[in-house]
Amino acid sequence: MSMERLDLFRALAARRTDEIVVTTMTATLQWPLVSSHPLDFDFLAFGMGHAADFGLGLALARPERKVIVLKGDGGLLMSLGSLVTMGRYGPPNLLVLLLENRSYEMTGGQVFAPAVEFVTIARGAGVDNVERIEDLSGFEAELARLLTEPGPHFVVLPVTNTEPLPSVSHTDHPTRVTNLRRALGVDSDAEEA
Amino acid sequence: MRGASAAQTVSLVKALGFTDVVSIPDGESRHLYQALLDEPTIQLYLPTREGEGIALAAGLWAGGRKPFVLLQNTGLMEAGDALRGCGVGPSIPLLLLVGWRGYPGALAGALPIDSAYPYTEPLLEAWGLPYRRLMGDDDLGVIEEMAALAAESSKPAAVLYGYGFRP
Repeated sequence: MSMERLDLFRALAARRTDEIVVTTMTATLQWPLVSSHPLDFDFLAFGMGHAADFGLGLALARPERKVIVLKGDGGLLMSLGSLVTMGRYGPPNLLVLLLENRSYEMTGGQVFAPAVEFVTIARGAGVDNVERIEDLSGFEAELARLLTEPGPHFVVLPVTNTEPLPSVSHTDHPTRVTNLRRALGVDSDAEEA
Repeated sequence: MRGASAAQTVSLVKALGFTDVVSIPDGESRHLYQALLDEPTIQLYLPTREGEGIALAAGLWAGGRKPFVLLQNTGLMEAGDALRGCGVGPSIPLLLLVGWRGYPGALAGALPIDSAYPYTEPLLEAWGLPYRRLMGDDDLGVIEEMAALAAESSKPAAVLYGYGFRP
């Protein structure tokens, strides 16, 4: 079983309020179709496989605000160790939604090792709240809980995509960070290293 | 005396307002790592690899914290894509304390030369990262200098330590 990714995004956008949403790879192409929010953060080209690491840092820095990371399974394979770090330091306000399509969709759909079991890997890495949701109705049923229940949560979501992907068209990287800090009310002059 | 005092270094980074350190320690930084672990006002995170750590630090900074990264030169080499994407590219002013593996041996003429040694400075220069050398307590001011430069330039800046930190 699986769910269409854009339907999943629509369901999430409908319930999302003031959470930070970090997206990467193909999620950066489709999330803007359903959301235009100052706390959307496009991580594309910020570092292969590191969207959840960035999201972890944000969640630790902003404990009062939920941080949702939308990332793919191919990206996770590039930084599997990050699950260990999430298991050790992941705060209650972190929600990682793993979009599982078992391929590198962004680069043409190359299939990776088919036997990989992400729920097992995440549990073995020490992440406390790990679950797999098979279809859209299940996701919609659990979403309110995932957005309010203390985590961290790591949720594997098998997805398909039949929609044409928009082309890559993004703002420059410093502007993305500046806009996020502005939306968070961070005083960039006072907080710089 | 070779190697900077870990205690003095921690006092300095605390005075500079750093709130977090993300580190994969090397043998040369073990005393500094322990001193940071013992400092209650600075939160220490130990990721599994340096690229992951730089992305974590970038997220902390984007959220309003003031982190620095403590890593070995070999880890800096591993972290190239994250340093590009989460530091230089988006203008995130991360301070990097980089252990210079191979420096003492190369200086003493020991053979074979550790290949991590000769690539370190060219690598920093290739990324356009300003850096200063830290060899002992007399050089500790370079930490404040590089932290200030990172903030002013909105880019990462590095301190390259050639000898192990003393307790």
